[in-house]
Amino acid sequence: MELIAELGRAAAERPTNLRRMKRDGTKIVEYIGNFVPEEMIYAAGAKPYLMCRGGEPEPPDAVLGEILRFMNPLARSMAGFHILGLDPVTPFADLIAVSQHECHVQRLAEYLEFQNLPVHKVGVTVDWDRDFAREYYYKELLELKRKLEALTGNTITDEALRKAILHSNEINGLLRDIDGLRKKDNPPLGGKEFIHLNHYTFFTEPEYAIEKLRAIYDELEKAPGKFDKNAPRLLLAGHSVAVGDYIVVNRLEELGALIAAEMLEEGFRWYHWDVEAEGDPLRNIWRNRYLDKSPVNIFQPGWRDRFAHMKQLIEEYRIDGVIWYQLLYDEIFDLEYSCVAKWLGEMKVPLLRVETSYEYTREAMAPLNARLESFVEFLKGDK
Amino acid sequence: MASTAYEEFLELAAIEGKERERLLPEWIEAARRMRLSEEDVRYAAREWIPKHVEMQYLGCRKLLGAMVRESIDHTKLPEYKAAGKKIVYGVLPANVMSYLALKRAGGDKIFVSFPDLNMMFMAQYFFNRGGQYFEIAEQAGMTYGARHCALNKMRIAIRLTDLIPTPDVDWAWGLVCDEATKIDEYINCMYDEKWKTVITRLPHDTSADEVDYEMPDRARFLGRELRYSVGEVEKITGIKVEDKHLEEAYAESQGLLATAGQLIGMTVRADPQPLRSSTLLLASVAFSFPLNTGLDYFKDGLVTLAEEVKRDVRSGVGIYPKGVPKVGFYFIPFALPWIDKMFMDNGVATSISLTFLPAKRQMEPSKYTDPYEKAAEQWLKKVYGMGCRPELNDWIEKVNMFKPDAMIMGFLDYDRWIGALHKTMAKKVEEATGVPCFYMEADFYDGRDYSPEALRTRIESICQIVKSRKAAKQGATGSAGN
Repeated sequence: MELIAELGRAAAERPTNLRRMKRDGTKIVEYIGNFVPEEMIYAAGAKPYLMCRGGEPEPPDAVLGEILRFMNPLARSMAGFHILGLDPVTPFADLIAVSQHECHVQRLAEYLEFQNLPVHKVGVTVDWDRDFAREYYYKELLELKRKLEALTGNTITDEALRKAILHSNEINGLLRDIDGLRKKDNPPLGGKEFIHLNHYTFFTEPEYAIEKLRAIYDELEKAPGKFDKNAPRLLLAGHSVAVGDYIVVNRLEELGALIAAEMLEEGFRWYHWDVEAEGDPLRNIWRNRYLDKSPVNIFQPGWRDRFAHMKQLIEEYRIDGVIWYQLLYDEIFDLEYSCVAKWLGEMKVPLLRVETSYEYTREAMAPLNARLESFVEFLKGDK
Repeated sequence: MASTAYEEFLELAAIEGKERERLLPEWIEAARRMRLSEEDVRYAAREWIPKHVEMQYLGCRKLLGAMVRESIDHTKLPEYKAAGKKIVYGVLPANVMSYLALKRAGGDKIFVSFPDLNMMFMAQYFFNRGGQYFEIAEQAGMTYGARHCALNKMRIAIRLTDLIPTPDVDWAWGLVCDEATKIDEYINCMYDEKWKTVITRLPHDTSADEVDYEMPDRARFLGRELRYSVGEVEKITGIKVEDKHLEEAYAESQGLLATAGQLIGMTVRADPQPLRSSTLLLASVAFSFPLNTGLDYFKDGLVTLAEEVKRDVRSGVGIYPKGVPKVGFYFIPFALPWIDKMFMDNGVATSISLTFLPAKRQMEPSKYTDPYEKAAEQWLKKVYGMGCRPELNDWIEKVNMFKPDAMIMGFLDYDRWIGALHKTMAKKVEEATGVPCFYMEADFYDGRDYSPEALRTRIESICQIVKSRKAAKQGATGSAGN
């Protein structure tokens, strides 16, 4: 679809545009993780750039002389792209704000500090069942606010923050509308386009993204379905489909499956949950990220709540099977997988775990392809 | 005279006379429950332990005895539970003071221990039989390929095999890695819905220019986490921990730290060295985890060993030839004592472990009056209680203080916090100190992947390099065939 491609081309121009803006005095803030709210960066008059690239084998390997081999490939990639000189924004970023909620990304932040990059850590307490621990993250948001204000020389006013929140909510709303089209028997888009759309919205100005998403929705709403009416409907769950890591997603839909819903943590908007626009905007952001949404994998306790959300998605999107898309050596997701496998087994919902190391050579693809094909064929036979 | 392998083992553990008679049937039953055959016990008593621990010292035998008594006590847990005793587990690494305080408060009404670590000492360090437990956890769903921590596998396995019952609560600290506390959620979701957990966590979010233990807000927050956790444990167990228990436990843990610190310092400065590094770790047990049987047996062993070592250091007696090169470790993999032995066999002494060498700051009086903040500060002063810049400075300080001939980092390939940046840190320490630093990818507890054959070449190479460097330093010349 041309409109999606157009948004994609605009997203690809983001580094060039940021370089230009930097030259004109705008501060550039890279960030890792959804617990670093891009709304705050916009409200400070800076420009955000999401760091979440993956899907290539060399970057994770490039840091093996420095970082443990058993860190997940996304964390190693983010460092590796920089080390290889392939990260277009990090060298001129004024700040790299990193969510500190789990060890892979926490150590990545320390590694970036060793590279003398301007890292700012945003602490996220995972014991979210107690008031004072929740407040820790709020204080971290206040600290980030101070940091951004000092960096840009601008005060983050409630008004500016509210404006950025409204933009995010509008993007979320449009993504929800587009996502809703996938509930049809034969939808006009699948997970491949939807994940791309998500990514593009991180790398385009909010107003532009809103305009394009609206046009995309209008066109898709009238568009014919592009899947077989008996296409197996999949839920793709896991840590992240990183920017550039599209091979498995593409392959699943090439094989005739429809990725009808996702349950992903990073590099993906938490678009099911809007930030309240009325009242204290920072407090609202805190509540949205921390309490409103289904917990992230590392929150404790979290897995039963997360599975309840998964069940809801399975029902709402009439899911035939679940793909657990796991980053290699991502030990906490690996533990959660065992629980999900147990619970889905009790519900008799088919499940396939796919682990990625970002190694997609022909040798690696052959067995992977066979597994994906078998799973999709099995689901087709079941329909 | 010992008549059975079990009795022989107790004799080795310096358990004598009437107590031995009393403990013998309990020890036989404990070994059975721990899945140790009589042949395993015989092999450990005659070969494995004497080969890997300096059993010529009565102090070492007494320390083994303290661990045996503790293990016998652990295998009585089902009976304790049936009798209504409150059971609290903990997980490494944690600040032992908090658990000592709990035990002080509860006395005989409560059982407090880290059962997985206890079993790691018994099954793996003393018997080389930990593998059977790791496999049980893997067969029950904890996948092999994701590089999970073997200590966590041990926790799962001893629960699955009913060696330990469901506790009233597991108070788990996730101040280092994510997996330690998440295993509790895993056990609860997978196997045991009654498995309750209280977690104590703190994000790793200090900047490179910040020092964790110098940040009052950080100590205050962690103190609050500790206070909250103790409160939850109190609610569950009905046992009230008062400030005096914490104060006493603080003094006790600082005292242990000082005694162990003296022993470690005396040992690693000696030439020849009287103990190997993994034995020093045995002497540090009681400030790693709480012993439900109390500290008396352990203190007796520690004090005896310290006296024996002092005597031998004065007389110039050691287990290595005088003048052999010494290598330090980030953390000697004690549970795989054959690694230590392999260095010994290659003419190199194992010396300091950075984690177990108390830094000067740890011996200084606390800045805080609140006992929970004191405990928090005690944690934040530990080498793994801080971000990697201050940690790097700590490593450099200790390496400069003891100047080993080389340092070995690694052995923590499954730990995404402690082990994640050892390669980078090794380079930085080498730059700052001039001491060559090597990195070894290996496991700290589990020898199945990194077997003796897999590590032999690497260890031999390191030893050759270290010895040749030392010879070059001393102006010695080597020639082929010497």
